[in-house]
Amino acid sequence: MADKSFVGGIREPRQGLVRVIRRGRSGWGGGRVALERSEVSPKLAPHFGFRLSEAERRGGGHFRGTRGRGGGKMAAPLELRCWGGGWGLPSVHSESLVVLAYAKFSGAPLKVSVIDNTWRGSRGDVPILTSEDNIVSQPAKILNFLRKQKYNADYQLSAKQGADTLAYIALLEEKLLPAVLHTFWIENDNYFTVTKPWFASRIPFPLSLILPGRMSKRALNRILLTKGEPPHYHLKEVEAQIYRDAKECLNLLSNRLGTSQFFFGNTPTTLDAYVFGFVAPLYKVHFPKVQLQEHVKQLSNLCRFCDDILSCYFRISLAGFSPAGQDTVDANLQKLTQLVNKESNLIEKMDDNLRQSPQLPPRKLPTLKLTTADEESNSFQPLSP
Amino acid sequence: MTLMCNFLRLKLIFIKNDYFSSLEGTFLKWISFHFLFTGEQILLSDNASSLAVQAFLQMCELPIKVVCRANAEYMSPSGKVPFIHVGNQVVSELGPIVQFVKAKGHSLSDGLDEVQKAEMKAYMELVNNMLLTAELYLQWCDEATVGEITHSRYGFPYPWPLNHILAYQKQWEVKRKMKAIGWGNKTLDQVLEDVDQCCQALSQRLGTQPYFFNKQPTELDALVFGHLFTILTTQLTSDELSDKVKNYSNLLAFCRRIEQNYFGENGKGHIPLRLA
Repeated sequence: MADKSFVGGIREPRQGLVRVIRRGRSGWGGGRVALERSEVSPKLAPHFGFRLSEAERRGGGHFRGTRGRGGGKMAAPLELRCWGGGWGLPSVHSESLVVLAYAKFSGAPLKVSVIDNTWRGSRGDVPILTSEDNIVSQPAKILNFLRKQKYNADYQLSAKQGADTLAYIALLEEKLLPAVLHTFWIENDNYFTVTKPWFASRIPFPLSLILPGRMSKRALNRILLTKGEPPHYHLKEVEAQIYRDAKECLNLLSNRLGTSQFFFGNTPTTLDAYVFGFVAPLYKVHFPKVQLQEHVKQLSNLCRFCDDILSCYFRISLAGFSPAGQDTVDANLQKLTQLVNKESNLIEKMDDNLRQSPQLPPRKLPTLKLTTADEESNSFQPLSP
Repeated sequence: MTLMCNFLRLKLIFIKNDYFSSLEGTFLKWISFHFLFTGEQILLSDNASSLAVQAFLQMCELPIKVVCRANAEYMSPSGKVPFIHVGNQVVSELGPIVQFVKAKGHSLSDGLDEVQKAEMKAYMELVNNMLLTAELYLQWCDEATVGEITHSRYGFPYPWPLNHILAYQKQWEVKRKMKAIGWGNKTLDQVLEDVDQCCQALSQRLGTQPYFFNKQPTELDALVFGHLFTILTTQLTSDELSDKVKNYSNLLAFCRRIEQNYFGENGKGHIPLRLA
C-alpha cells in the first residue's frame, strides 16, 4: 500500500508550528504543555467558529483556554490520534510513528492526541487523522492527505527517486513488517511481558482485556495468510523464514543508506519516515527476546539514523514529554546499577585479596601448663584454620 | 488492440537425461519443445506468474518443456503455479526458481552491485505487492469479473457441484487475505489508482533504457514483463486495467521488445498470447 502522487509534487513545504498536547497520566509531567500560537490563513478565518466546535467536541476541551484568551487563532486543526510513546520513542506503534515522523519532516502542524485509558475517542484502526470533515485512517492515505494539504517532504526528489521510494516501501511492508509484528505481538515472551501490559495500561477496562488479544490475533492472521503457505506448515518454519527475510531487508536498507544522513541526501523524506517507523521500535523497545534487535544494533548506520532523527526532530518540543522522564529514570537506574556493580567488584577484589594473602599461622595457645598445655595445643592443632 | 486470449494452465517441466553428469558444465540437454494449451482454465494472476517464470527461463537460455495440467495448482509444493520439475526436484514460484537456477550456475543478476541488487529486490516486491494483489483483487473481489469470468474458469475442469464449491472456497480465501493486508475496504477505483501508481514508478525507473538495469535483462524484467503483458492481452469485463498500463509508452515498448527477443519468430520460444 504505497504512497501516491508525490512525484512531481509541490515545490515548497509549508512551515508551521507543531503543537503537541498530551492528555497526560499523572507522573508523566502532568497535563498540558504550553500551547503555541500559529498563524491562521485568511481563508480559514470564516470557518473558525465551526471548526472550533468540531475540534472542541473531539478534543474535549483543549481549546477552552485559547478561547478564553480572547480569540487565539490557530491553523487548520489536523488532529492525529495515535498510540503513545515509551523507551525514548514518541510512539511505540509503527504506523503511528511513520505518520508522526512524516509530520515532523514536512512541518505539518499536527495536534497529537494520545490514546489513554479514558473512554474518549476511538481506538480501532489507529492512526487516525481528523481534519474538518475528513477522517483518514491508514498511514499511506494519511501521508497522501498531508501532501494534498501542501505538507510535502518529497518535493526535492527526482522522478526516479520517487519510484525508488515506492519500491522500498513495498519491500519494507513485505519483508520487515511481518517480523516487527511477530516480535511485538506473537512472540510469547515479548507479548506477555512487554506489549500486552503496555497496551492494556492505555486502554480502559474492560476493553483492556479484549483489545490486545484481538490485535495479537490480527497480527498472527496477517502473517499466516501472507507468509504461512506451504511448504511452511508449521509456525516455527514461518517464523524462521520471516526473520531471515527481515534480516536480509535490514541489510539491504543498511547498504542503501551507506554513510549518508538520510536515504536521499540531507533532507528526510517519506522513505525515511517509513524506515524510521519500522526500525526504531525494534531498536529501542526493550524486549526479552531480542534476536532482531541484536541484528539491528549490528547495523550501526541504521542505529545512527534512528538516533539522529530522534534527537533532531523529536526532542525540541515539549517539556514534560514522557520519554524524557523515562530516560532520566533509566539513567538513574543505570547509574545505580553501575554503582552496585562497582561495589560488588570491590567486594570481590577484597575477597580475593584475603584469600591470596599469606595465611596467618595458627594461633598458639599460651602454654600455661607444660604437659596439659602441650596436649591441648596438640589436640587443638587440627582445628586451626 | 484486439485481444484474443487463449488462457492456458502451464506447468513448466525440465526433463533432463544427463542431469547428474554435469562435469562438462552443461546443465540441460535440449528436448523437443512442446506446449499444449487447454484454453479455458487459467486465471489472470496465475497466467502472469507463469509468463514471468517462462520469460526468466528463456532469458537464461534454458531449454524448457511446457506441460499443462488441470491440477497443477495442487501438484505444486506451495500451492501456486507455475512450478518446475527438474530431475527429482520440484520448485515453484519465481523467487525460489531464481535461487534454484542460480545454485545451478545460471544467474542474470551477477553483474549488479549491492545497491542495484537491493533496488531490484525492492522493485520485485513492489510488483508483487501492487500488481499481483491488484490482479487478485480484480478477479476475486470484483463482483462483475467474478461472476462472468473467474467462477466459470476456475471450476472448469470439475463436475458440478464441485466447480461451484471450489470457486467459492477460493474466493473466500482470497477475500480473507485481502482483508488481512488492508485491501478489503478498497474500492475498484482505488485499486486502479494503485496500479497506475505502480506503473508510473516502473515507467520512471525504466526511463529510456532497454531493460531495467541497462543492457541485460534480469529477473525484474521477466517479472514486469509477465504481469504487464498479461494485463495488456487479457480480455476482462472492462478495459480499465489495461488502459492504465497503456498510458506508459515505454512500458509498451519494453513488452514488445522482450516478446520479440525471447518469444519471437526466431524460434527461441513460443507464446500463445499475441500483442496485437
